[in-house]
Amino acid sequence: MRKSGVTVVVALSLGAVAGAALAQAKPEQLVRQRQAVMILQGKYFGPLAGMAQGKAPYNADIVRRNAAFLDNLSRMPWDAFDPATKDVKSNALPAVFEQQDKFKEAASRLENELHKLYEVSRSGDENAVKTQIGAVGKACGACHENFRQKQ
Amino acid sequence: MRRGPALAGLFFLLGCTLAFAQGDAKRGEYLSKAGGCVGCHTDTRKDAEPYAGGRALKTPFGSFYGPNITPHPQAGIGRWTYNDFVRAMREGRRPDGENYFPAFPYPSFTRISDADLRDLWAYLRSLKPSARSSRPHELGILYRWRVSLYPWKWLFFDSGPFRPEPGKSAAVNRGAYLVQALGHCGECHTPRNLLGAPKKDRYLAGAKLGESTNAANLTPTKLKKYGDGELKDILTSGLYPDGDVMGETMGEVVRNTTSQLAPQDLDALIAYLRSLRPLPDEPK
Repeated sequence: MRKSGVTVVVALSLGAVAGAALAQAKPEQLVRQRQAVMILQGKYFGPLAGMAQGKAPYNADIVRRNAAFLDNLSRMPWDAFDPATKDVKSNALPAVFEQQDKFKEAASRLENELHKLYEVSRSGDENAVKTQIGAVGKACGACHENFRQKQ
Repeated sequence: MRRGPALAGLFFLLGCTLAFAQGDAKRGEYLSKAGGCVGCHTDTRKDAEPYAGGRALKTPFGSFYGPNITPHPQAGIGRWTYNDFVRAMREGRRPDGENYFPAFPYPSFTRISDADLRDLWAYLRSLKPSARSSRPHELGILYRWRVSLYPWKWLFFDSGPFRPEPGKSAAVNRGAYLVQALGHCGECHTPRNLLGAPKKDRYLAGAKLGESTNAANLTPTKLKKYGDGELKDILTSGLYPDGDVMGETMGEVVRNTTSQLAPQDLDALIAYLRSLRPLPDEPK
């Protein structure tokens, strides 16, 4: 009984710390975090695109692993596009903050396509996986088109 | 018995001459990819019929809709003659003599060679006719009169096929032809003046397309950071070396065109871009 009470207190204080940390994260830090997610998405998506285009041999294990990584990564960057980061120098265009609905829509499109990829990667249907990798690429590109300035 | 091969040879020769006179549809299909025709002449819906028209091209002058170019007699260009096609591509004129808006990139297509026009025409004739009617353009009130295209063409349009530069290698000239004529890369990658004509001294130096989209500077200023192998990968995969996915407008061009090019054509294209004079980016 006492133990669970302690657990609750510890959990609550941890939550408070996490909450406080989130509130205190400097805009520059948020930008670095979301950039880190994008870099990792590139790292794990690149080989899949190569396989879908027949440039690299198809490897179902790598596809399954990367699809799972990407499924998780795709949910991570969005809270770092906080309005507080509006003036930090980055490749994000003002449209991210000015057209929030469209940006959210583009973000959930990516999440949905990557979740689908995660699911088909488990089905073992190579053609379906390759088609879905193409759909993911289009979701990435559609968002980059309107919300990212390539330097 | 000995007549067989001789006859076959004769028919073969005859076949070749006919194919030459009529154009080679198979080659035309490749040229159509190199020209990216399907991009503007196909709707964005998933089940859209290719070449049956529909895509909106948004410009400061209004929205242009690529028409149906399948051989349907009413909805498409089924009643056109080969000469109508050549006049459209080389002179930017419709069969009835009216001018096309340069949203149809005839200032680039005019550079396409006679032989390639023949093959392209043969390919377009081989498409399945679609009855989908072309959608009229939606233009700003000031820009609706095609009459204004006479002075525009007089000022900005030079017709005639590509001429190789004698001092340049065959590869660079082939690349120049692919970029300037078929690929019509400059239509997006060259900035335009107030009258919508490309600024010649800024050829391929990158341009703003609408509010947020930019077409990259393709001169060595920007491209020198990539090796030839990297550029080939970028143009066949739509991905930068770090796995970063390019914007969807160019992504589509990669899918429809650059990834479809024969390896030696892609090499030539890159050799030509490398030979350009380095130009600074457009001021922001």
